[in-house]
Amino acid sequence: MSQEEIVDALLAFIGRNGAGDDEFEALALRLFAYQFKHNAPYRRFAQQRGRTPLTVRRWRDIPAVPIKAFKDLTLSCRPPDEAVRVFMTSGTTGSGRGRSYHPTLAVYDASMLAGFAARIMRGREAIRMGILFPDEAALPNSSLAHYLALAAERFGTPASAVFVGPAGLDLPALLAALGEAEASGAPYALLGATYAFVPVLDALREQGRRFALPPGSFLFETGGFKGQSREIEPEAFYDGLSEAFGVPRESCLNMYGMTELSTQFYDDGNAVCPPVKSGPHWIRSRVVDPLTGADLPEGEPGVLVHHDLAHFNSVSAILTEDAGVIVPGGFRLLGRVEGSASRGCSVAVAEFLAAAQG
Amino acid sequence: MSAVEQAGHLPDFLSGAVGYRIVEHRAWGETVAVALPELTADQATALCGHVRARARDTLRRMETARIVAAIDRASACLLDRGYPLRRRAEALLPVVTGYDRETVRLGLTSYLKTFRKPQLLRFLAEDFSNPGMLDGFQPAAKGGLVRARGPDLLLHVWAGNVPALPLWSLVSGLLVKAGTVGKLASAEPLTAGWFAGLIAEADPELGACLAITWWKGGAGGAEAAYLGQADCVMAYGGNETLAALRARVPVTTRFLPHGHRIGFAMVAREALDSRRAGPLARHAAHDVVRYEQQGCYAPQMLFVERGGAVAPDEFARHLAHELAALATRHPRRRLDAGEASAIAAWRSGHEMRALETEERSGGATLLGDPADPWSVVLLDGPAPLSPSGLNRSLAVVAVDDLAEVPALVAPHRAYLQTAGIAAAPERLLTLADDLAGIGVTRISAIGRMTAPEAGWHHDGRFSLLDLVTVTEIEASAEAAAEGFAPYAD
Repeated sequence: MSQEEIVDALLAFIGRNGAGDDEFEALALRLFAYQFKHNAPYRRFAQQRGRTPLTVRRWRDIPAVPIKAFKDLTLSCRPPDEAVRVFMTSGTTGSGRGRSYHPTLAVYDASMLAGFAARIMRGREAIRMGILFPDEAALPNSSLAHYLALAAERFGTPASAVFVGPAGLDLPALLAALGEAEASGAPYALLGATYAFVPVLDALREQGRRFALPPGSFLFETGGFKGQSREIEPEAFYDGLSEAFGVPRESCLNMYGMTELSTQFYDDGNAVCPPVKSGPHWIRSRVVDPLTGADLPEGEPGVLVHHDLAHFNSVSAILTEDAGVIVPGGFRLLGRVEGSASRGCSVAVAEFLAAAQG
Repeated sequence: MSAVEQAGHLPDFLSGAVGYRIVEHRAWGETVAVALPELTADQATALCGHVRARARDTLRRMETARIVAAIDRASACLLDRGYPLRRRAEALLPVVTGYDRETVRLGLTSYLKTFRKPQLLRFLAEDFSNPGMLDGFQPAAKGGLVRARGPDLLLHVWAGNVPALPLWSLVSGLLVKAGTVGKLASAEPLTAGWFAGLIAEADPELGACLAITWWKGGAGGAEAAYLGQADCVMAYGGNETLAALRARVPVTTRFLPHGHRIGFAMVAREALDSRRAGPLARHAAHDVVRYEQQGCYAPQMLFVERGGAVAPDEFARHLAHELAALATRHPRRRLDAGEASAIAAWRSGHEMRALETEERSGGATLLGDPADPWSVVLLDGPAPLSPSGLNRSLAVVAVDDLAEVPALVAPHRAYLQTAGIAAAPERLLTLADDLAGIGVTRISAIGRMTAPEAGWHHDGRFSLLDLVTVTEIEASAEAAAEGFAPYAD
């Protein structure tokens, strides 16, 4: 199967709402065969597990690559220099960044737009947007910058604006836009990285200011604090957002995505934390034992594996470092799974690495 | 759930007045609740004052031999498998620490054996040419007289779940007559208190110079009181913990940190014939299984020399076989998600590196299934020292010559401690010389890595000498005094 055929099949599948289990499985197996054939490191990885297109019959048996592999290996079916875009994780060291190679953005964009329309816009045509994240020109390798640019371009009104420039957050401009929105009575959407909301919350508290954004407004954040701001517990964070912007917690939406995927998960607001996350019909999730990779019974917490058909050029099945539990309607995120320190006096990997990096 | 086990050892004047924090431990299908004493800042100050005063009034005047006798009696009780407290230790420690019963039983015995009278005397003789200087002034080799004194108040901050490990520093402090306050390790909060209680039974006066308690680290309050009053602080833990603690210790207080360490082993080609390789692999497996590599002396990497009758890959298979066999007798406890992830990350890290290159040489081979309660990865070429995923995971590194190994481990000097070596005598000494140069402080036989001998020098330090200050009467004072004697001419 050629790349063109794969792309066509995926675009058709993304457009086919209500596609069932059998169709997902059939396409997943076709994609596995494609990735097995064209992605050499993934082929060796799968062979080592005795999983080949000849032996795998179910999508759940398609081997999932640990997310760290995107840092160590070049996981691409097409030669990497043919990529029109390379999305990279925000690692601090050059070599330590995970990379996803995209020979075309057609599938990524279709996946993003369909998901955003269904879960964020929910039938609405357009909304005025404020973006708390640098634009694509500033961060060409950021999947989030591209994501937000797409959102603004397709669903933002002309008055939409980006408030993070080379000099950082433009707070006066943001406050002006929020004030306008409040006065206009038209719904407003503020979107950005989770950590970008923290300085805004702090500034508002300092100034003793609060907004009451018009009904229908929403807040959208993603990615967590990542050491870019202080950490705030989810309950306090969403209370703070709700209070500062006058938006109910049900309209504080969190997107769960990653550079190593081409599809995103959403919740239906954060009235209750952690909320149930779910994605569209071309992505599925499993919860596994991190050591064996075996599926855990529903309801038992473990490590999340995502199987994203839209991530066709790389690897569709990835083993994350996120803890989660399958619940009716999706899954709940339970935080990061981190290798624990030793219980005794042996040095464990984390401390060793920290020392090695000085 | 059984009754709550009271941890620690506190003087009578505090009994009934102290708050407790109840912590539950679960393993092997059982639960043990432990009550950790938690003093207020005022109580902590009073405790430190009490211990310091008792130490000054009684401990300072005690002969070292009397202290040795009390420690010897306490050890004898815990070595007696019929003794009620020993039975309790064998029942509770597996649940609290997660180690299997056999490991706990064998480990307790092996530790306590090193605290009998002959071993304690050896311990003293290791550090003092004349241990009598702890009891009074003794002639110094250079002339004059010298005596050694431990700190008036020594504070121990213990960490980790290796059973009875705190006894090393507890005993060291007592041998130099230090008034002692110990902070229990949350992961093994029982043995130190039991041992203190036994010492108090054997010698109530000595027991009164000793208190074992607990406090929440980094929370100010009582911690500040303890740290402010101690003359010397001996602390265990990771670098982050130690750095935070050091920042809170007054600059005039001696601070003796023992950070986390990594162990490794080396097998020379002469040890790799068909007769010796099997038993050697069994010994190595014991070092790995004992305390699940949580102890700082446990091997996390094994360097195996090529050129012997048994090749490194064959040795790795022997080792895997022995680990599988030991898993039946000493089952690994159920790992939590973090521990399982550490092993998974370690395995997949090696797997990924192997996938980077098409050719298998220079690569990594994972032995066993991810579901096995052990993991061995065979690395086909020299690899720098790095930690494993712990809990019975280990890399076997094939090298052409063991002489390459010091360079592979040298970058991690700050973390080195124990190396297990199987090699002929001459090579043992040559290798030991190189290893000493890069910071290795203990070399043992493979199979004895997790059982340091009596009187060992933890992290290469003099456990007793580090604690004392000496007072010297110089020869001039001694000679001058003669001039003032009533019998002076």
